[in-house]
Amino acid sequence: MSFAVRMKGITKHFGAVAALNNVDLEVAPGTIHAIVGENGAGKTTLMRVLYGALHPDSGTLEVEGNPVRFTSSREAIEAGVGMVSQHYGIIPAISCLQNLILGAEGGTLLNLKSAAERAQELADHMGFQFDWLKDAETLSPAGAQKLEILKLLWRKARIMILDEPTAMLSPADSAALFESLDRLAAEGATIILVTHRLPEVLDHCSRVTVLRGGVRVDERLVSETNGQQLAELIVGGSVAKHTPREAPIEAPVSLEIKGLTVKGSRGDMALKGIDLKVRHGEMLGIAGVDGSGQRELFHTLVGLIKAAEGSVILNDQDLLAKSPSERIEDGVRIIAEDRHEEAVIEDWSLDENASLGLQRLAPFANGPWVDSAKRHEKAGEIALRFKTKHGGLNLPMASLSGGNQQRFVAARALCLNPKLILAFQPARGLDLKGTQDVYDGIRAACAEGAAAIVVSFDLDELLEQCDRLAAMNGGRLAEPDAAHARDRTAIGRLMVGVG
Amino acid sequence: MLSLLLLTVALSTPLILAAMGGFTSERGGVINIGLEGMMLMAACADALASPKFGPVGGLLIGIFAAVCISLLHWLVTQIYKIDHVISGMALNAIAAGGTNFMHLKFTDEAHKGSVPNFPTWVFYILAFVIPIVLWGYVRQTRGGLRLLAVGSDPDKARLMGVQPMRVRFFGLLATGVLTGIAGVELVAYTGVFTDNMTAGRGYIALAALILGGWRPLPALGACLAFGFFSALQVQLQGTPVFGISIPAEMWAALPYLVTIVALAGFLGKNRTPAGLGRA
Amino acid sequence: MIWRVVALISGALAILAGALLSAHVGPMEAIRTLLHGSLGSPAAIGGTLRETSPLLIAGLAVFIALRAGLFNIGVEGQLLCGAASCTYVALKIPNVAGMLLGILVGMLAGALWALPAGLIKAYRNGHEVITTIMLNNVALYLTSALVSGPLKEKGQQDTTTATVADATRLPWIYNHPPVQVNIALIVGVLAAFALAIWLKKTVAGYQLQAAGANPTAAKFAGISTARTTLLAMTVSGAIGGLAGAMQVLAYEGRFYDGFSPGYGFDALGVALLAGSNPLGVLPSSLLFGILAKGGIALQIDGVPKGITTVVLGFLILIAAVVRYRKVNTVA
Repeated sequence: MSFAVRMKGITKHFGAVAALNNVDLEVAPGTIHAIVGENGAGKTTLMRVLYGALHPDSGTLEVEGNPVRFTSSREAIEAGVGMVSQHYGIIPAISCLQNLILGAEGGTLLNLKSAAERAQELADHMGFQFDWLKDAETLSPAGAQKLEILKLLWRKARIMILDEPTAMLSPADSAALFESLDRLAAEGATIILVTHRLPEVLDHCSRVTVLRGGVRVDERLVSETNGQQLAELIVGGSVAKHTPREAPIEAPVSLEIKGLTVKGSRGDMALKGIDLKVRHGEMLGIAGVDGSGQRELFHTLVGLIKAAEGSVILNDQDLLAKSPSERIEDGVRIIAEDRHEEAVIEDWSLDENASLGLQRLAPFANGPWVDSAKRHEKAGEIALRFKTKHGGLNLPMASLSGGNQQRFVAARALCLNPKLILAFQPARGLDLKGTQDVYDGIRAACAEGAAAIVVSFDLDELLEQCDRLAAMNGGRLAEPDAAHARDRTAIGRLMVGVG
Repeated sequence: MLSLLLLTVALSTPLILAAMGGFTSERGGVINIGLEGMMLMAACADALASPKFGPVGGLLIGIFAAVCISLLHWLVTQIYKIDHVISGMALNAIAAGGTNFMHLKFTDEAHKGSVPNFPTWVFYILAFVIPIVLWGYVRQTRGGLRLLAVGSDPDKARLMGVQPMRVRFFGLLATGVLTGIAGVELVAYTGVFTDNMTAGRGYIALAALILGGWRPLPALGACLAFGFFSALQVQLQGTPVFGISIPAEMWAALPYLVTIVALAGFLGKNRTPAGLGRA
Repeated sequence: MIWRVVALISGALAILAGALLSAHVGPMEAIRTLLHGSLGSPAAIGGTLRETSPLLIAGLAVFIALRAGLFNIGVEGQLLCGAASCTYVALKIPNVAGMLLGILVGMLAGALWALPAGLIKAYRNGHEVITTIMLNNVALYLTSALVSGPLKEKGQQDTTTATVADATRLPWIYNHPPVQVNIALIVGVLAAFALAIWLKKTVAGYQLQAAGANPTAAKFAGISTARTTLLAMTVSGAIGGLAGAMQVLAYEGRFYDGFSPGYGFDALGVALLAGSNPLGVLPSSLLFGILAKGGIALQIDGVPKGITTVVLGFLILIAAVVRYRKVNTVA
């Protein structure tokens, strides 16, 4: 049997850590092949090797029967391999057409007219709509994803790697995407799908490779496996079914948001009258597709953007009248979305990072002075809380892996008497154990009377962990009625603004 | 009036050429405050070379000198990955010191006077042609598109098979050529090289580029505006305006004040290339 | 990585040696001349310390802004404004009162001159590099106009102010000509220590450096980056003004056209070489002082002084490669 892709014995180290250990992958042409595994299992690393963006320490690579050795993505593209990365490769400042042809312009001089014609043909074939001359920054996440697929077709890619393509798409957009993928596979394209969503695998793929900790643990025909079995392979052991939380909490209201309206960056309304109550001890999960207004809500509560209308009362205090630092003094704690950019200073030591955000509060500060001794003590506690693996508190934050940074950041947010915990994807980059630890930590703080708002794009995670769920769509927040409070389908409908 | 116009063109020309050099660097994401040093290097090299090799040889050697500095900027920012502003400052120091050294040590005693050079109108024409060429280049060519892409997001461009380092290499090569011509023009205009003869023109060119939103034609406009103010200064020197005698220094400071006011006021849409300064 | 640093250093040395040899000067001989001219005799050391003094204070001015992620290229202009205004006050008011008030006014002038750049950066996100370069030029023309107009001493040929009376000037702490050490140098050293303590031990210093290291994370940590920018820029400007005032009251005694030979620009190199600790400014400014003083000796020997500026340029590059991989700057 001939393979579209054949990788044998791929090993790749990052420093001392083996991201891939002797991994094999064989993909049949004209099929959709899934690669599944937890965060950090090595899925993306393996794909980056195939795409020529990373060079393996050892192992061989065959594309359509020819042994290849890519030294750059350019060579992979020439061999017919294309990849859509997890973070979209669309450059917002240039037009859709320019994005489409970038890297495959077909000559020194651009013929934009004929390029636009060919682009339109491709789009028509896939049933996509584009305004080619508009800047790509106007694209929705779904539009950007479609443009990415056209980019692969423009490059005549025969092997297409899609890394978590539906992570930021609504269920309807995801369905449309898979329709296109099925069609492409039927026309002979080979598609490798990296995902953590098992339903996608079961519904659309023919084979599935499971990675765990950089090792290929199994490869199966999808028709010969099921969700439960795959889940067990992924985590390496049986998965306990989650237990829903018990009866609703009756404590007094801690946070009350009324009619909160916020302007978006392009003059539109990012939040359109949010009403929300969170009680003491309650962990509220906000589900939604990325870009539905979660970020604006979060930033408004932190104090980074101003509200146009509405009120936010936290424990009888007018939150909106306060500066971000006053809010921190009132007990607002933040687990920010992007830890590199928003939560840590990578050049600084763990010790120095321990007080970031809490720097004015005792015991980190003593009046205007920094209390280094107490800070060091506290940094040790923070590192210990969720078992952050580190080589010393005096080493720079950059020496920690992403997951360990996340543990540190989460523990820091919980370490000093939190009253309102704002967590944006708090389990980002964590394994199942770490995820559970962090949520347990937030729950413990809630048990002491704090209120928590958790934003996540993973509905299942929220269903499993939170006391109560709401969904955001287009700047509005909706809560399911009591009968469907934990109904996955009902909340899924709210996420897309139906029901 | 005509003389004011001519003077405006004359004083704008080195600014335009240098600003265009800044364009090919900054539009590709490399911050370049070393324009000053590149011009200075070219001016000095031209003044030293043209007595021996004639105007063409002087021009080529001048360009070569500026290219050396601009490629050094490429080397340390792209290979060594140091901060672009630090590199620019250091290169300006190297150029200022180096030209002082070369000028004092190697100027041929027989050629203390003015050196042979092209007539200045050649440079004036270039100053108006090059911005138009660059304008077309970024819209209609592969290289131009890649320059825009790398300047906006080097990482994403890399994923599309574009090599940012390569694109920036050619961008900085062009920077060297253009600032080289600008430096040679200064010598052609005055006839001699003098210590630190660029006198901040590289910085003004950069300011014009920024005021022009990193686009060639608006930057050309900004350079002309600066040239006009300088020309006005020369013409109005000592002449009372509205009955008040304004010191010459105030006229000289005007372009700088205008830039500050413009930066403080409204630049309109932020057109800063998003990849500026990013590795 | 190591071989790259070695390659860069070798390249720099080769260029310098090549330049010296082409000018018929042996590199070792040039180094000997430079060291002898700057450290070879008590008089030379005194001269070196005098060169170091303004570079130390101006270097601290650049340094503090750098810690907040700002490239204050405008120290040159702030220094000029500080020097000119201090001279004005010291000429009007006699004795210690004039001295102290002159220093204060000089610092105020420097801070005010930095303020527009801080405001534009904080509220308009305009590049401080560009605004401070522009402000430098304006300061140069402004002080030049002042000293050739209203501040000019009557009957003087040169464009200079009158000379400040001895009683109003800063005292020498060691005064045995040719070796003289002024209190200005001590002020600089104390300022470096004060800055070190402030940055390391106070919440405000922590916040300033956080804003410089990662502005987004700083915002999430409740730090107003706009306010930090303003604070850093005005403090930087005030120290720049102090450098100018000290230069007048300690050494020059007057203000004149061409007062600063580029202290503000050298100060950038001083701060960049200093690394992340303000105490690093001490050895780094001394090194610049040695090169400046030794450069004069070289010039007498027929090697143009520019060669020392080339050395500084390469030093900045090498220092940046070795440890200053990334400073948050414009854009």
